[in-house]
Amino acid sequence: MRRLLALWEKEWLALSRDVLGLAVLFLMPAAFIVVMSLALSDVFKGGAARLTGFAVMAADPKLAERLVRSLSGEGFRAAPAPADEAAARDGVRRGTPSLVLLVPRDFERALNAPLDGKSTPPKLTLLADPALPPTQLLAFRQRVLGVALALRVSAMMRRAGIAADADAFDLKHAATLNVETIGGAGRPSSVQQNTPAWLIFGMFFVVMPISSLFIVERREGTLARLVSLRVPFSMLLLGKVGPYFVVNLAQGALMLLAGRTLVPWFGGETLALPARWDLLAAVTACTSVAAIGWGLFVAVCSRTLEQATVIGGVGNILAAALGGIMVPRFVMPETMQKLSEVSPMAWALDGFHAVILRQGGAADIAAPCVKLLALALALFAAALWVHHRRRVLAPAQ
Amino acid sequence: MGTLNLESVSFRYPGRGETVLDKVSLAIPAGGIFGLLGPNGAGKTTLISILAGQLRGATGSISAGDEPLEGLRRRRPHSLGLVPQEYAFYPMLTCAENLRFFGAVQDLAGARLRERVAAAARFARIESALSRRAGRLSGGLKRRLNLAIGLLVEPEILLLDEPTAGVDPQARAFLLESIRSLAGAGRTILYTSHYMEEVEAICDRVAIIDHGRVLVSGALSEVTRDGSGLQELFMQLTHRSLRD
Repeated sequence: MRRLLALWEKEWLALSRDVLGLAVLFLMPAAFIVVMSLALSDVFKGGAARLTGFAVMAADPKLAERLVRSLSGEGFRAAPAPADEAAARDGVRRGTPSLVLLVPRDFERALNAPLDGKSTPPKLTLLADPALPPTQLLAFRQRVLGVALALRVSAMMRRAGIAADADAFDLKHAATLNVETIGGAGRPSSVQQNTPAWLIFGMFFVVMPISSLFIVERREGTLARLVSLRVPFSMLLLGKVGPYFVVNLAQGALMLLAGRTLVPWFGGETLALPARWDLLAAVTACTSVAAIGWGLFVAVCSRTLEQATVIGGVGNILAAALGGIMVPRFVMPETMQKLSEVSPMAWALDGFHAVILRQGGAADIAAPCVKLLALALALFAAALWVHHRRRVLAPAQ
Repeated sequence: MGTLNLESVSFRYPGRGETVLDKVSLAIPAGGIFGLLGPNGAGKTTLISILAGQLRGATGSISAGDEPLEGLRRRRPHSLGLVPQEYAFYPMLTCAENLRFFGAVQDLAGARLRERVAAAARFARIESALSRRAGRLSGGLKRRLNLAIGLLVEPEILLLDEPTAGVDPQARAFLLESIRSLAGAGRTILYTSHYMEEVEAICDRVAIIDHGRVLVSGALSEVTRDGSGLQELFMQLTHRSLRD
């Protein structure tokens, strides 16, 4: 134990004097958390925060006014009607407004046509900006059809001699619908996605200092000297676990703090804290040992600093891209979502989401934690095996 | 501890055809300094690495006195010390931190650790540099720190692999004087160097190896009996062609 403590102290001293390396470990994920949380805030709101301009072109000003009233609100804002259809097309091409509803002259007459299956339903045309998110286009389309249905039902009622106003059939007034998501929010908000995501990314970046010091030790003969002093190779590897575990925990605490303070300070949302801190600590610990295992494996396999930088850096970026760190998994196509399940960063993110987002219990983090621990053990064993296979250094007894 | 005996020690690196050490037999008595000479690639560092327990897979036998060297090291793990030709310490740590670390991994602790760190620093005359980062020291101070680390546990067998490489004459003179003072008291010292005058100055026995084979071995006075110096004998045995 004394030797292990000495190894930990040495590693800690070496790490604490690598100011640039420490800065990368702490500032890089913090910067990503702030920047990405703010940059993607609209995407995570499904476009709700964005006000999309629309205009209605109808020959009948009363009808136009009624349509504008019914279509406005909840993310859609009325814009002045263009002078003619050509101006409307030109405006939409420039994105101002994003949507223009063209109502034909005979629209109201068509509304009054009997619903006998022989008559043609009234025709409307919607000009749309191609840059408009598909979800918003779909939402507006549904809203237009809802208003058209309300107008048609009110026309039918009038024909039947029942006084009715179209507003009475507007979907907005049909019922009050409360949406209740179970176990926290259904999908993460930007800060809830980006804080754990970039924390995980930062944690896996310990691969850099672990491998660089290890390669320096090997190159300078320090490792060989320690082996000649009968320090087992497995202990040399374990000597790197303690300090980096502490670094990973510190990263966890500081990144949560960034989500709570820095992101709202820059105008973003505040990170909601988990109800179970013990589970959060468990997920962080499991992610940490997996990240350290990866660092040890890269360190032992790489013969030069350049190799370690490429293997560690590219490996991390690929795992992040695949694991939903850079692009949330829910926006990925199904095939990619399935493929992302092989990324350890995706397992870690599942664990963090189970705690932070869904306020889950121990059973919810069990699978990701087991996967991360199994990976850590496999990587540690692989590092020992690679070392043994190279047979350069004799194992100390 | 008695003589360090190597009998028919052979070694080849896995996956490589050539034999690095070919039936090397040497007797290195305690109480003196044994000089191991050879051109680059002769097998000196490989032999030291095998003795230090860094390389495995050598055939033949190595014993210290009556027992196999491996058995002695298992019984007394710190009976053997190595001063490698590289600066095998941590440049980002201070000299004191390096000494404390290498002492602690050799099971020194508390007052004993402090005492040994002070003694090794005093011996290598690096007391004034103890608080300085090892990476910022001069070449001579780095060599002295390297030596001090090797002496922390007072090993009975000391392997010195080119301990004076790249230092100025003053530092070399100090190092040689220090190493000479380590001989005696039953300690076995194996010393490798490219500097013939160093070996002539401090070693009482020498061996010249090349291509993994021992070309000559014995007391310095014996091997240079015909009046030629060690340098001339070395060139005669290993030839004058350049080595890659």
